Amino acid sequence: MNESVRMVVVLAIIAMVSAGILAQVYEVTSEVIEENAARALESSVYEVLPGSTAVNIVRVSPHDLVVDEPKEMREKEERTTLIYEGVDGEQIIGYAFVGEGNGYGGTVRVLVGVDQKTDQILNVKILDHAETPGLGSRIEEDGFRDQFKGKSVQDPLQLGEDIDSISGATVSSRAVSEAVRSGFDQASAAYKGGN
Amino acid sequence: MALGKDFIRGLWEENPTFRIMIGLCPTLAVTTSAINGLSMGLATSFVLVCSSALISLVKRLIPDKVRIPSYIIIIATFVTIVDLYMHAYLPGLHQVLGLFIPLIVVNCIVLGRAEAFASKKPVLASALDGLGMGLGFTWALTLLGLIREIFGAGSAFGFQFLKEGTTTLGIMSLPPGAFITLGILLAVMNMIAARQKAS
Repeated sequence: MNESVRMVVVLAIIAMVSAGILAQVYEVTSEVIEENAARALESSVYEVLPGSTAVNIVRVSPHDLVVDEPKEMREKEERTTLIYEGVDGEQIIGYAFVGEGNGYGGTVRVLVGVDQKTDQILNVKILDHAETPGLGSRIEEDGFRDQFKGKSVQDPLQLGEDIDSISGATVSSRAVSEAVRSGFDQASAAYKGGN
Repeated sequence: MALGKDFIRGLWEENPTFRIMIGLCPTLAVTTSAINGLSMGLATSFVLVCSSALISLVKRLIPDKVRIPSYIIIIATFVTIVDLYMHAYLPGLHQVLGLFIPLIVVNCIVLGRAEAFASKKPVLASALDGLGMGLGFTWALTLLGLIREIFGAGSAFGFQFLKEGTTTLGIMSLPPGAFITLGILLAVMNMIAARQKAS
């Protein structure tokens, strides 16, 4: 066989075998990976909405999602707010939402649980962050997160007003308050119709 | 006996981290704790053993001019397998090690052993060489991670021995701590090697 033809053939065979093996592995693992992610989020919802025994996922979009235009469809999909409703039997305990803020090392994602009756924050959980260990990572500590408890959507939720920042970690603290603020506005408007 | 030598070499004499000093990027980045160092080392060891053995097996079939791309595809396949399985069954660890698992593909230890050893030697010798190098890398990373964890977080393998809230040397968990620890360890290793030579 010609040298250059052989090169192409060998490389192609290696690539094809590799792709085949990886397709098999992906098939096996992708289901587990998705299940893990879903379960992790669900257990976080139980943490921020204590007393819940089941979680309902509610999709709230500003308009109906039946659009023929794929591009428009995608835009609306992006603006769809996912609300996690914690229920105990018939009774709705509250709702939880995910908020995002820009931290020092990347996006900070928080999960916030809100009481159905009082509309006050029950708990805030940091889902993931890439803040500096020992400084920004202290946003995970109870002392900081507990400041959000009992706040409602009318409160400013601003650093220096009703939230104290962690010394040496202003950017990370602001990321959390921003994440809660923006998520709260969106979720409360979507879920409770702005009242 | 020659096979035993292939295995032993990577552990000390040609230890990738302390003697040859290659693959330092993950070494410095992931060793914030002993567990992280250990898992990164084991993941790399798996890739090293599998890719070295397979490359040695197929070395005669691969034309010389396309050997590097071929090796990279083989290595990348094993790395992706590790990445997917880790994501599925060890999600906590996967989140911590994050980007550094896919980056094993470009870890020069793996390609270095393929090029320098597996492409010339028989299968069993190549696998043992990969295992030795991998375990050499593993103990180096674990030691580095353990020292940084003890001083930076007051714990060892996740076991907290200092009361929570005790002031620790935070710098040890940060990138400068990695350089400082590696520098000191290299000095110690060089000293030991020099003494061995002298005696």
